[in-house]
Amino acid sequence: MMSINARLLLSASLVLVAFLSFTGYALDRAFTDSGIVAIKERLQTEIFSLLAAADSDDIHTLTMPGTLPDLRLSTPASGLYAEIISDQGKVIWRSGSMLGIKIPFSPIDVKGEPRFTEVVADNGTQLYTLGLSVVWEVAPFIVRGYTFYVAETKEHFENQRKRFRKSLAMWLGAAVIALLMVQAIILRWGLTPLRKVASEVADIEAGRKTELSANYPQEIELLATNLNVLIRSSNSHLKRYRNALGDLAHSLKTPLAVLRNLVNSDGLPEGTKKTVYDQIKRLDKTVEYQLQKAVASGRKALAAPISIEKVAQKLLNTFRKVYVDKQIDFKLNIDPDIKFIGDEGDLMELLGNLMDNACKWCRNKVKVSVFATDGMLTILVEDDGPGIAQEEQEAILKRGVRGDSQVEGHGIGMAVVRNLVEEVYKGKLTIEKSVLGGAEIAVILAW
Amino acid sequence: MRLLLIEDEVPLADQISSSLRESGFAVDIANTGEDGLYLGKEYPIDVAVVDIGLPDISGIEVIKKWREEECGFPVLILTARGRWEEKVEGLESGADDYLVKPFHMEELIARLRTLIRRSAGFSDSKIPMGRFSLDTAAQKMLFDDEEIDVTAFEYKVLEYLILHADKVVSKSELSEHLYEDDFDRDSNVLEVIIGRLRKKLDPDKSLNPIETLRGRGYRFRSVE
Repeated sequence: MMSINARLLLSASLVLVAFLSFTGYALDRAFTDSGIVAIKERLQTEIFSLLAAADSDDIHTLTMPGTLPDLRLSTPASGLYAEIISDQGKVIWRSGSMLGIKIPFSPIDVKGEPRFTEVVADNGTQLYTLGLSVVWEVAPFIVRGYTFYVAETKEHFENQRKRFRKSLAMWLGAAVIALLMVQAIILRWGLTPLRKVASEVADIEAGRKTELSANYPQEIELLATNLNVLIRSSNSHLKRYRNALGDLAHSLKTPLAVLRNLVNSDGLPEGTKKTVYDQIKRLDKTVEYQLQKAVASGRKALAAPISIEKVAQKLLNTFRKVYVDKQIDFKLNIDPDIKFIGDEGDLMELLGNLMDNACKWCRNKVKVSVFATDGMLTILVEDDGPGIAQEEQEAILKRGVRGDSQVEGHGIGMAVVRNLVEEVYKGKLTIEKSVLGGAEIAVILAW
Repeated sequence: MRLLLIEDEVPLADQISSSLRESGFAVDIANTGEDGLYLGKEYPIDVAVVDIGLPDISGIEVIKKWREEECGFPVLILTARGRWEEKVEGLESGADDYLVKPFHMEELIARLRTLIRRSAGFSDSKIPMGRFSLDTAAQKMLFDDEEIDVTAFEYKVLEYLILHADKVVSKSELSEHLYEDDFDRDSNVLEVIIGRLRKKLDPDKSLNPIETLRGRGYRFRSVE
């Protein structure tokens, strides 16, 4: 899923770009419109100055003086052109600037109303034209009609507009960059608390912290507080639960130990002795198995991954002490980077029981290997002992057999392991023959 | 061998201690962690049995404190929970072995004998001393693999001397490790027993395995 940061950055950037494009477009339109209005006014002024300069001769024909106020009209190809046409369609006068250029002025029917058009001259020059049809009283009661045209090349205005657009683009571009930068900084700052939550959760999971720190903005303070409550309660709940079970074990097993010793020493009849002894043994196994089962916690939220190597090493030190006379040659083949996602106590129970059995049954070699392949974590415990007979393997692995009724020999340990692997961690337990000669127990868990 | 038992459950403590006494241990009993801690520090203990689930301070704390104060005698822990976390914690704190309740008394005694022998530096249950040897598993004294008939108390004396072979063991040390505290000690009894042992081990007085160092004590020689 797209990150919050990317979402905000993308949407804000889109809005920013759209807004600035619209601004650019509007400014360009305003510039063009005002430019054209200015051209219209200028051309009108030209027409008025031509009108002012016009005179009539003896035969009541309109004449123009040799020199005109605007010098551009006398200079060829200056960009400003003028023409006067009589109502009969006869060209009365042309400005000197029109030498060598033909402009297709469109005729105007309505008198006294200036008309603005855009035309293309024969040499391809684009022009703005303004025409004004007037009625001229050359002498009392002698009226003639003329149309005055002026034209100006678009070139000048286009150049101006280009310059304007260029600087507009530059400023808007600079504004976009500056605003994007500011926005990125604001986003970073605004999302800092979320980033902090994420990194603190990662710290908790890695075991560097036990809970989230206290100062958060009010929007996520509640979340942080609740998360802390959750972590604390799950930890303390598990601890209390385990302590309670420990006390229960202690208070159940100590009397069992007393009873068991009594049976051996008292003068009970042999048959009774055996029955009592068997019942005590059954009680003991049930208590042991059920407590072990109850104490397994499984995967917890926000628990640090456990280094399998460390746990195996701890157990190995224990077994070195306990089985010192056996001089066992231990081999640990565990990548220290492979972590167990779950409870350390569970892992210790799992490995402890498997390694203890291996130590018990081996001649002098025990090997523990752990490897991870595409999402599967495999724990192998091997020994060079006699191995496990087929029927016993079946009894150990058979589903639905209650652990406390399981066969002697591999004892309650294997039942605890099976419960942990299959019920608590939803993995698989298999028994094979090891290359070392004895049993090879494999635990396969999702990683 | 002098053994310290820390167990808060009085009936169980009584059962264990009487079985251990029958097997030749001199047993001191503490019903709380504090008492046990004190006895371990102050008494000449050879081996300790510590219940982890004590009402005042945990057995693990007791062992840790002993080890901090360099009390090096071997310790066996008794645990009600069979959890590896607890066993590992116990052994990491300095214990040497564990037993899960309920246990067979014979198992406890065998483990304790192994611990004592190991802590004296002997890895095999049969300890050779020249032509003599001590079978700690069978609790027998042998000469050229022939059993020498000794009484239970004589065996205790021999065992202590052999586990401390080539070291001088004073009479008071011997009595401290063989008798319980409230026992009325009489050093003449030990002298008589040593004399009897000399006769049994070395009837023709040629090997002289047990030396007397005047004013200092006795020494069992590992080779003749």
